[in-house]
Amino acid sequence: MARVVVLGAGVSGHTAALYLKKRLGKAHEVVVVSPNSKYNWIPSNIWVGVGKMTTDDVVFPLAPIYKKKGIEFVQAKAFALWPEGDAESDQPAVEVEHTSQERMGQTEKLRYDYVINATGPKLNFAATPGLGPDDGHTVSVCTPSHATEAKTKLDDVIAAAKTGKEQKVVIGVGHGTCTCEGAAFEYTFNVEHELRAAGVRDKIELTYLTNENELGDFGVGGMQFEQNGFRTTSQLWTESLYRERGVKAVTGAAVTKIEPGKIFYDQLDGSHNEMDFDFAMLLPPFKGTDWAAYNKAGEDITSTIFAPSGFLKVDADYTPKKYEEWSAKDWPRTYQNPTYKNVFAVGIAFAPPHQISKPRATPDGVAVAPSPPRTGMPSGTMGKVVAFSIADMILKGAEKPTHAASMSEMAAACVASAGTGFKTGTAAAMTMSPVVPDWEKYPETGRNLKETFGEIGLAGHWVKRLLHTLFIYKAKVKPGWTWIPE
Amino acid sequence: MDNTNERIAMAPLPTPGELRRRRNAFTQFFRFMRINWTMWLLARKSHH
Ligand SMILES: Cc1cc2nc3c(=O)[nH]c(=O)nc-3n(C[C@H](O)[C@H](O)[C@H](O)COP(=O)(O)OP(=O)(O)OC[C@H]3O[C@@H](n4cnc5c(N)ncnc54)[C@H](O)[C@@H]3O)c2cc1C
Repeated sequence: MARVVVLGAGVSGHTAALYLKKRLGKAHEVVVVSPNSKYNWIPSNIWVGVGKMTTDDVVFPLAPIYKKKGIEFVQAKAFALWPEGDAESDQPAVEVEHTSQERMGQTEKLRYDYVINATGPKLNFAATPGLGPDDGHTVSVCTPSHATEAKTKLDDVIAAAKTGKEQKVVIGVGHGTCTCEGAAFEYTFNVEHELRAAGVRDKIELTYLTNENELGDFGVGGMQFEQNGFRTTSQLWTESLYRERGVKAVTGAAVTKIEPGKIFYDQLDGSHNEMDFDFAMLLPPFKGTDWAAYNKAGEDITSTIFAPSGFLKVDADYTPKKYEEWSAKDWPRTYQNPTYKNVFAVGIAFAPPHQISKPRATPDGVAVAPSPPRTGMPSGTMGKVVAFSIADMILKGAEKPTHAASMSEMAAACVASAGTGFKTGTAAAMTMSPVVPDWEKYPETGRNLKETFGEIGLAGHWVKRLLHTLFIYKAKVKPGWTWIPE
Repeated sequence: MDNTNERIAMAPLPTPGELRRRRNAFTQFFRFMRINWTMWLLARKSHH
């Protein structure tokens, strides 16, 4: 009997665990380790942050789902990998610390035959002094509790505006190396929608603050679309939306510090700037979980398996190169660690080989370099292909991973909500194929123009709302779940 | 020099006709079907 341990129960880990169990059946064990007892459909946290959904709408308990499917659930956080085993056993192990009420703080080693690291991001608020809801002065929408707090603070701003006080709202990213600009973009326009609905839009200056070199970059170097007989850019398309909604923007910015009511940021032209705020939602940069790895003798081999960012090294080409020399082929396909063939990483947890959007720095050397986004669709797809590969390795004795999905081949869909309401909602629906431009295959724009498009309107909102329902349905493993694509 | 706000001020605004189309339930229904269909196709061919 083989034992597969999946670390993380988010989009990629949950998908991997469900497909593994479906393929492996009762003959083999699938174990999921996650510090949270609940699944969170993160894209809908944006709507919690404007009060259109509650925490209960975006989370559900994992244990009953796993029990029903015969998957073992361990509520714990993983912190050390022993890929060669240890003094007690030759079988590899992952060391975890329990987080459930009953076993809080206890540690244990879980033995595995295969392990999938799907631990997502560590929200690195500490990278910028004063950033974040816990020890800082800004809010976030990364977790349901963060988003609930953001909604409360947004209500305070609306209440102040109703008394006639002018208010400054800033939404964006809180560090020069952040990713997930799409989420900040979404929150900006949802807040704008709510401010209009509350009748206080004229009292509020709304600014989008980003590390993107230009609007519409989204950490993927922007996109080109064909629309109405013209080729247009995501930059122009996005700028049009900002004009239509009266939103200001600051681009190419690296936030360096936050004090109560004041954001300090540097820009690519070398300027040091300040911006006042009454409400600021700034996303944190992401890093990997705080991992350590040891060989059988107990010597530290963390740097063999993990990149300095804490993300796990997989079958990518990590040779340091100039941005211009990077190619689509550098991106991983199987997500297998090159040293330990039974170790895989999917979703945000794998170490990307390079940025997609061109990295830049201020004259003082402050990085303004959006990190590559690893959104829901690619993350789920990676979970699925790794599950299929491991199942083939266990069931058919395959020596190598049998399934592949590279971000330089796969597409991503991004539906960025810009306001809710069955009749009044709007969203910008975008697809890009592939996520990482392939300049050899598509020399003109890096992407397949037939599969890369953008569209704004009510339809986008309906799609976004449908995705919420479908993905929660799928994650709950209801009948026909495999028919819903990642 | 960050000229983003100047660019925003110069960006094309949607015409009243386009704004109506973005809200029109009938037009949007077809766009809704098209977006879903495209996304479904892209998702299904994302791996091998
Ligand atoms: C506000 C916001 C909005 C977004 N909106 C969209 C969107 O509209 N569309 C889209 O495609 N993408 C969106 N994304 C991105 C999307 O959420 C990610 O792509 C996706 O969640 C990545 O999946 P993952 O499995 O890698 O990580 P996650 O979903 O974050 O899952 C990580 C899992 O690992 C667990 N974990 C953490 N540490 C440990 C540990 N030490 N040991 C074990 N388990 C651990 C966590 O509890 C969690 O269960 C958004 C992201 C944010 C923050």
